[in-house]
Amino acid sequence: MTARLTPLGLSLLTVTVWALPLAVLSARTELLVAALPLVLALATLALPLRIPDYALTHEISTDRVFEGDAVAVTVSVTARSAIPLLELLEPLPHGSRLASGRNRALMSLRPGQTASFRYEVRWAGRGLHDLGTVVVRGRDRWGIRAWERRHAERTRVRVHPRIVSLRSLPRPFHTQTSIGDYTSPALGEGIEPGDIRQFTPGDRIRQVNWRASLRLGSLYVTQRHLERNADVVLMLDTLAHVGAAPESTLDFGVRAAASLATAYLARKDRVGLIVYGGLIDWVRPGSGRAQYERLAGTLLRADVVFTYVAKDLALVPPRVLPPHALVIAITPLLDPRFTKAALDLVARGFDLIALVVSPVAVTRALLGGSEADDLACRLWALERRAQLDGLRRHGIAVLEWNPGEPLEPALAGLRRRRPRLAASR
Amino acid sequence: MIRLAASAFAAVLFILPALTAPIPALMVAGVVGLLLAAVGIATLWRWPVTSAACVFLTDYAAALWLADAPVSAGSAAAFGLSLLLLLEAVEVARCMRHATVDASAARSQIVHWIGFGVATVAATGLAMPIAVALARLVPFAAAPFVAAAAALGAVLALAAAALRPRR
Repeated sequence: MTARLTPLGLSLLTVTVWALPLAVLSARTELLVAALPLVLALATLALPLRIPDYALTHEISTDRVFEGDAVAVTVSVTARSAIPLLELLEPLPHGSRLASGRNRALMSLRPGQTASFRYEVRWAGRGLHDLGTVVVRGRDRWGIRAWERRHAERTRVRVHPRIVSLRSLPRPFHTQTSIGDYTSPALGEGIEPGDIRQFTPGDRIRQVNWRASLRLGSLYVTQRHLERNADVVLMLDTLAHVGAAPESTLDFGVRAAASLATAYLARKDRVGLIVYGGLIDWVRPGSGRAQYERLAGTLLRADVVFTYVAKDLALVPPRVLPPHALVIAITPLLDPRFTKAALDLVARGFDLIALVVSPVAVTRALLGGSEADDLACRLWALERRAQLDGLRRHGIAVLEWNPGEPLEPALAGLRRRRPRLAASR
Repeated sequence: MIRLAASAFAAVLFILPALTAPIPALMVAGVVGLLLAAVGIATLWRWPVTSAACVFLTDYAAALWLADAPVSAGSAAAFGLSLLLLLEAVEVARCMRHATVDASAARSQIVHWIGFGVATVAATGLAMPIAVALARLVPFAAAPFVAAAAALGAVLALAAAALRPRR
């Protein structure tokens, strides 16, 4: 470690160099006396510099937070030898800001003494952020010499997209084989009454429909529909976005995807994810809390990667896009390649819903609000309305969401016909 | 608080030359130094404070030269200490800016300054009789050359000590 002369040392040297010739030229002893403190302070440069010995620890309150939540950081220093003056600085990661306290500290420690400082940092947008790099600058007693050391004890903080509670979710047309919250057309053990049929040996007494049996003169039983779960695949468009983080269409899309995933997982559905963009990424459908962690981990990394290459959904393994899955495409519909991919899925028989994050509203929020801007946005909105109508004509259920408004009303706008329950026996 | 201390040191540096020789031209130079110091204390830039220190020093030298008063080691020691502590205080204020400051840091710094002040006054008291005795040994005609050589030697030694690389 190299100790260096500080700017203060140079200042003292400058003033001393100025004082001594003045003393000689003016022939006044007082100037030499006045220069004496400066000379004495600078004379400490001749002494060997002892680099202090200390231990530094870095702790964070939690490594997982939601957007806008604060993480408390505590940095502690224990001195093993005397430290006259110690400056500590932990640079804030990109996109973060101080919520409370300061990320710089100044302390002076005796041997064996421990001092710490604490601050809170928050991130407005999702992502993986590294903390734990602390730059330490020590000074000698006069601040004339300084040395620096960088402590890197990397701690990763996962900032998850903020989730909103959703009650009305788009209902899938097809159900799967596991138990869930949807009434399946298939008959079996359930609570939703279905058709009535004649009693056959093996039927339980409690299934007997006594009213129908009395009216028709023979025993009849009430069949019931199974409660089944569904496969939901969220397809996130990362081909293009507008706006600046954390208020871009992609960020709003990620928040919508996280909210939908949480709501469907709470209904015991299996939820998968395809991040469709310059880099294609996916998570196989699954259920439970661990699945949310997998989905969140992929959503945290989702970013727009520019490419001219159109990704083919044939690359996606069949297990990621299981048959009869409900596909919810979350997109600002800025890139025609995503539209083509969505139409491809519809053509392959998938039940597809497009949740369109309106880029017009995001762009309007960025613009100044002049008449020309307003006119351009209105023209763009008209153009997009025609585009969405074209998608509807292809049989895609389209939900347009203005990110300035809650997601729930946009989802509630979808009226899907309930499948005929008695259709399959 | 630390800026207040720096302002007080700047005030001492302005007042001492004014008391030594109350001449308007010197007062103007002192005001210039005071303004530079004020800018440095307010913005915590180093160069205005260093410039202010040089201006105050020149002002004090001119005041001593013009007044031609008897030697006053006490006021000169106070001037020198104020000069050093002004530069120190601004540097410490820079360190404290936007930082969580441990109470012990400020306390130990103040204790150190007081200790150094006492030590400097004692050293001055000790050095003055020695210097007077030594001065008698130097021939009158050679005195300016000895003083110039000693000053040059001191400056070179300090510069060498400051600029040599150290590990």
